[in-house]
Amino acid sequence: MSVTVLKTEKLTYIYGIKTPFEHVAVKNINIDIEKGELIGVIGHTGSGKSTLIQHFNALLKPTEGSVFVDGVDIWQDKESTRNARFSVGLCFQYPEYQLFEETVGKDIAFGPKNMGLSSEETERRVRTAINFVGLDETYLDKSPFDLSGGEKRRVAIAGVMAMEPKILVLDEPCAGLDPKGRDTVLSLISEYRKNTGSTVMIVSHSMEDVAKIATKVLVMNKGEEAMFGTVDEVYSRADELVSMGLNIPEITSVFLKLKEKGFDVRTDIYTVEDGRKELLRYLKGGSAK
Amino acid sequence: MNSIIDFENVTFRYDEQEENSKEVLRNINLSVEKGSFVAVLGHNGSGKSTLAKLTNAILVPQEGKVLVEGIDTADEDRKNDIRRKVGMVFQNPDNQIVATMVEDDVAFGPENLGVDPKEIRRRVDESLKAVGMFDYRLHEPHKLSGGQKQRVAIAGVIAMQTDCIVLDEPTAMLDPRGRKEVMDTVKRLNRDMGITIIFITHYMDEAVQADRVIVIDDGRIRYDGTPGNVFRHIKEIKKIGLDVPQATELSYLLKNDGIDLGDVLTADEFVSAFEKLRR
Repeated sequence: MSVTVLKTEKLTYIYGIKTPFEHVAVKNINIDIEKGELIGVIGHTGSGKSTLIQHFNALLKPTEGSVFVDGVDIWQDKESTRNARFSVGLCFQYPEYQLFEETVGKDIAFGPKNMGLSSEETERRVRTAINFVGLDETYLDKSPFDLSGGEKRRVAIAGVMAMEPKILVLDEPCAGLDPKGRDTVLSLISEYRKNTGSTVMIVSHSMEDVAKIATKVLVMNKGEEAMFGTVDEVYSRADELVSMGLNIPEITSVFLKLKEKGFDVRTDIYTVEDGRKELLRYLKGGSAK
Repeated sequence: MNSIIDFENVTFRYDEQEENSKEVLRNINLSVEKGSFVAVLGHNGSGKSTLAKLTNAILVPQEGKVLVEGIDTADEDRKNDIRRKVGMVFQNPDNQIVATMVEDDVAFGPENLGVDPKEIRRRVDESLKAVGMFDYRLHEPHKLSGGQKQRVAIAGVIAMQTDCIVLDEPTAMLDPRGRKEVMDTVKRLNRDMGITIIFITHYMDEAVQADRVIVIDDGRIRYDGTPGNVFRHIKEIKKIGLDVPQATELSYLLKNDGIDLGDVLTADEFVSAFEKLRR
């Protein structure tokens, strides 16, 4: 049975209200997110993605509309707001710039400590989190500033995971990483979701990355929800995506172009391996999948 | 070959005091031809940013020489000449904008060179037109998009009339639209104004648009050639933690299945190779 863990109702947010800079950043968003899903959020710069996700853990208060976590309106009273801050973990862009403690261990422990957890529980969570991000416990005593960029990024993500949020929201977790670093971060996010059963959202500019790991995709355009559906449902609307300043994966565009040229191939192809299988099927002249 | 930048047996390490400190670049020999468009690939920590900083005397090698149009970058007295020839654009657009108005930002370089104000006016207008940002000349830089900011940074470099622009992951923090704006601008400057481009990136779809691709791994040049020649080494490139374009990878997998489409770098090339095969 599916359980809605996060829901927005007519969510609207306006920046600089009643000033000359008044700007509607998100407009009338109505989404339902079920437990255990991995949602990819895409949209061009300024489409409202970051504004939207900052509502999920009560960093921003909607100008109109509401946000529900586990069915509770997070602005109904102080306690609900506080709970939202712990049940939704938000990891910002370039989170490694926010590392500040003397050691990796202390940095990861910062969140759980602030939640008022015992030192044993904090300790347990720090160890679990460092393992989640694929680093061993010898890292705990190192200074975060002695690590490589990719390692710092993973430590920062571990700091949010250590709060064991029901919903983990990551704003462009792979930005600026090299291809190997990107793959590492993506697979650790998938693993984390599998092992904890948590709900995960990642904001990304990379349609390839989203295709690899997401169960559903939310497309934002000019502050509005443009599409919300499975990877197939969203990626099949390539023309619309391109007109919103987004790209589709190169491999998908190969198949869309082949189809355009009259080859009878499938177009719901998002990985190179699927592309290979589909072309082999086509070349054998078989019609079966 | 008429080269603009030459590396001769260049070795570089950051900690000069320490005898055994790790060499970030080892014995690099490289000539960049005037007017060419070179893409540099390498994973984080491979030494590619160090390579970039050696081109305009931000860093100077411990061993070997870097020459910019024949001038040794180790020559303290010629640093300004070198920086006038080779300009640099960095990853983070917010870290390289200094003024509160777009045209003031572009004027910053030539002003520091003591260029005549009338000439500055002319250069600023021309540079902004060249990057397609002339209409924004009176805007505040911090309100621009990432792609627009990078184009302003590029205009600031051309206003100094540099012959070569080195861009260190200029698109890493941009969305697809911003990436395309920067890429199109850089290609146009290369084609129309003959400016030499050295473009460091993690994006393979950008690298395939260059004339030449250089792959750096562990402080050494591993591959150097046309995009077709370099990306042919799919297995090795993946092994060092880099990607190849998806169209290239697909053609490679099919080749193992006995279907030869030749060297393919883009979706369009793949489709036309496939059409030929089926005809």
